[in-house]
Amino acid sequence: MPRICSFAALLILFALSIPVTTFVKAQRSGVDTYAITNAKIVTVSGPVIERGTVVIRDGLIAAVGDKVNAPADAQVIDGTGLTVYPGLFDANTTLGLPAPSPLPTPGGGGGFLQAQLRAATPISGPNSTQPPGLQPEVMVEDMLKPGGPEIEGARNAGITTALSAPRTGIWMGQSALINLAGDTPQQMIVKSPVAMHVGFSSLRTGGYPGSLMGVFASLRQMLLDAQQYQRVQEAYERTPRGRRRPELDRSLAALIPVLEGKLPVVMYADRQREIERALDLAQEFKLRAIIAGGIEAATVAERLRERDVPVLLSLNFPRRMTSAAPEADPETLRTLRGRVEAQKTAAKLAAAKVRFAFQSGGLTNMADFRANVAKAIENGLSHEDALRVLTIRPAEIFGVADRLGTIEVGKIANLIVTRGDLFDRTTRVTNVFIDGRPVDLRPVTPVAPAPSASPGPSPAGPHAEETRPNFGGTWVITLSINGQSLPGKLELRQEGGAVSGSMQTQFGASDFSGGAVTGNAFHVVTSAVIQGRPVELTIDATISADDLSGTVQSVFGTATMTGSRQP
Amino acid sequence: MGKRKIVAHILLLSLISAGLLSPTALAQQPRPENPSETLIRNATVLTITHGTLLNTDVLLRKGKIAAIGRDLTAPANARVIDATGKYLMPGIVDCHSHSMLDTVNEGTLAVTSMVRTRDVLDPTDVDLYRELAGGVTTLNLLHGSANPIGGLNTVVKIKYGRPIEEFLFPGAMPGIKFALGENVKRSSNPNLPGVTRRYPYTRMGVEEVIRDSFTRARDYKKSWDEYNAAVKRGEKNLLPPRRDLQLEPLVEVLEGKRYVHAHSYRADEIMMLINIANEFGFKVKTFQHVLEGYKVAKEIAQHGAGGSTFADSWAYKIEAYDAIPYNTAIMARAGIVTSVNSDSDERARRLNLEAAKAMRYGDLSEEEALKLITINPAIQLGIQERVGSIEVGKDADLAIWNGHPFSVYARVSTTFIDGDIFFDREKDLAARAELTKERAQLEQAEPNRPSAGGRPPQAPRGRRPSHDDDDVEQGERP
Repeated sequence: MPRICSFAALLILFALSIPVTTFVKAQRSGVDTYAITNAKIVTVSGPVIERGTVVIRDGLIAAVGDKVNAPADAQVIDGTGLTVYPGLFDANTTLGLPAPSPLPTPGGGGGFLQAQLRAATPISGPNSTQPPGLQPEVMVEDMLKPGGPEIEGARNAGITTALSAPRTGIWMGQSALINLAGDTPQQMIVKSPVAMHVGFSSLRTGGYPGSLMGVFASLRQMLLDAQQYQRVQEAYERTPRGRRRPELDRSLAALIPVLEGKLPVVMYADRQREIERALDLAQEFKLRAIIAGGIEAATVAERLRERDVPVLLSLNFPRRMTSAAPEADPETLRTLRGRVEAQKTAAKLAAAKVRFAFQSGGLTNMADFRANVAKAIENGLSHEDALRVLTIRPAEIFGVADRLGTIEVGKIANLIVTRGDLFDRTTRVTNVFIDGRPVDLRPVTPVAPAPSASPGPSPAGPHAEETRPNFGGTWVITLSINGQSLPGKLELRQEGGAVSGSMQTQFGASDFSGGAVTGNAFHVVTSAVIQGRPVELTIDATISADDLSGTVQSVFGTATMTGSRQP
Repeated sequence: MGKRKIVAHILLLSLISAGLLSPTALAQQPRPENPSETLIRNATVLTITHGTLLNTDVLLRKGKIAAIGRDLTAPANARVIDATGKYLMPGIVDCHSHSMLDTVNEGTLAVTSMVRTRDVLDPTDVDLYRELAGGVTTLNLLHGSANPIGGLNTVVKIKYGRPIEEFLFPGAMPGIKFALGENVKRSSNPNLPGVTRRYPYTRMGVEEVIRDSFTRARDYKKSWDEYNAAVKRGEKNLLPPRRDLQLEPLVEVLEGKRYVHAHSYRADEIMMLINIANEFGFKVKTFQHVLEGYKVAKEIAQHGAGGSTFADSWAYKIEAYDAIPYNTAIMARAGIVTSVNSDSDERARRLNLEAAKAMRYGDLSEEEALKLITINPAIQLGIQERVGSIEVGKDADLAIWNGHPFSVYARVSTTFIDGDIFFDREKDLAARAELTKERAQLEQAEPNRPSAGGRPPQAPRGRRPSHDDDDVEQGERP
């Protein structure tokens, strides 16, 4: 009997074991208490505490100071020789979002392959009145997925909070501010929506708008339509009787908070004229603008300050990506000046009292995040300002300064611990706390290809760093010629320094081999039978992570090719 | 001189000596070195409207031409330029340009009257500087010719180095680009199976698209007129009609508030547009290219349209086979306000020679030929009260040439806009050594060093073919 009893007990224990541990874990998370003692504490909100203690309890900062003692129930981390900073912000990313997929062609074209493509591509906004790329109702909140190498890479760089925004589009959708830890999207989100995002690159699908001019026209028309939509809806709500019921339109409805100034608009603009155009549009419709990218923002500093427009400044500084070749055209003086000036932008914005925050801008190697802040410091940005634009400034810009951005009692315990000064190139981040819990820091081997480099309106900035090129895989491509577009597929195999494979369009497949590779570009000549006659095709393509762009030349002219690698 | 000004000067000097500000950086901001008065002495003045004046002085004050005559005096602080042996000519007006546009065509739709070139101007386009060096001061920036009804144009003064707002020509009539014929019907494009071609693809279709658009514009105007009338009557609870950015410019055309600049080649399509315009009661302001204008010169003149053409380009496409170099002269003699345009960043630098060709082909007088690039295009853009001739009270948009502008050896030495210098040949030459030095320094900077294993360098960029019309590039310019 005792034997049976103990067996039964064991069985019951077994049956309960899973829920029991979850329960314990949940309970523990409620009372997680940590203390980092004897550390230098850079609070950002006040003076630096040379030797003190930070107490973390229940996800929040419970105490901080030089006379604070570690509570008895706390797990103590001896911080001797270490420095505690508030967790850093990356003010514009695509963290937590699925890898990019090609946009289907809206309206135009009805080929078999195209139909297949369209079926394979998830449509972002269900029942939207607008084509993908012009859907302001898209919300990052609905697409977030926790975990992944990009998030780990960001945490290794000391980033604990990031603005996550859609990758592409004109009306790109609405961003969310996320903490870079949590088992569910709901746990990650700090604030949503934070802003509407607007990219100014055309759809590139053969449909309208196909040029920058059209982009501006369609932005304008949709804002006007949203104003009209609001008028019509309000009139109907006042007196429904006797009026025809207006149709619902989620796309236009999503623009109403933008027009009312309740939701700021992050506009992607790097060059002076791009920034000025964005500001012109914002003034035309009285939008609350934020500039993202801002490589040349210093040239517009006065206007940015006057209008109180913050900048999410890219740390992906432009660099020369081409190799040396004597036969090449010399680069323009403006290009050369621009690259040097880009590293001075932060200092100039700080001097001009323009509000700004740093963003990674599509850096593929997150080790460069702090290294490039160090470059900005070398070019005149003060150490204090550098720290503020990585912590409290973005918190202010995104409206969460009451809960993030400094080490103060009651704020969310997003903290990083370093051995050495944050901006020293040799300094390592030793501990990261997000929402009061320690995060495992695992060295992330650079994922090749890194999917964070994104096409379209570069949150990446135009100069994403290159990884070792790897052409292999299946690429879904779109060929555009004279405003028409043709879908296709490119199968590539990499054999040492050569690329072989085949290109398939609705005209059939053409195989090739021996494509010459230079850097991350390849060149190959092949032929296809089009309308009954053999046509020579010259393919030139450059890849950047999972994106491909290039040209296909033939007797029909030069088609531009864009594509992305299928996961 | 205030204390702050002195401090600023000292600061400037120290910056220059420290090598932080190269003289070229100063040259790009002409404002501080542009006094409010300039006296150009002893020039041969090609007034355009009042003949050629020998050994004449021209005084510029506050951006305007203040006086023309002999032995004029200027205050002590005025800039004095000795133009002995040189020619003074009004700034050239180019009635068809795509310079400084980041994108030329919105080619996805047949009617894109909602797009505006104003949204995509690039004031740093180096072509502008080259055009200043060719004596050009005003450009009509047109949308491309991908669609029957294209985008809205922008007329600019080439104030290179200034903020974009200063480029916009004050008071210029707004305009819109139309296009007829081959580019629009896109017959040269591949007819790929399974890929929908954009309507229209015949000249019949082009006509239908334009007629349909104006029919819709007329209805749109009516809906607004009715709404405004109802508001006036004091009716309550009215909802305004939806604003339609595509139709608004066409309503302006119907009301005579916006000029139509129509890309055209063949006589039949020119007549087609004249008939539609008469049907809807508007005027075509200019036919652009208009290479068969000589066949229907009487009809164009009767309609009151201008013609803006190429001097001697022909046969570069099927619809240009019947072009003749005498077109310019025949149109001008038929009473059409005729101009010669560039449609090319390259040709825009030598429009003086394009005009000269009209003397060779068709025996236009020197003055008639000069008008082709000055007062006539100014009339075509509605800015003839301000530019296009050298008259007291007009804008001081001028160029000094070292020889008669119709000589192949003539070069521009100085170009003025609103009395300020925007091109100075001597200064340009003097700055080159400085620029070479700056380039050498910049190339050594870390972000400018070539990266190992990087992309191969770009192939040299081809320029826009000099004698093609504007269909060459679709979409974005690099």
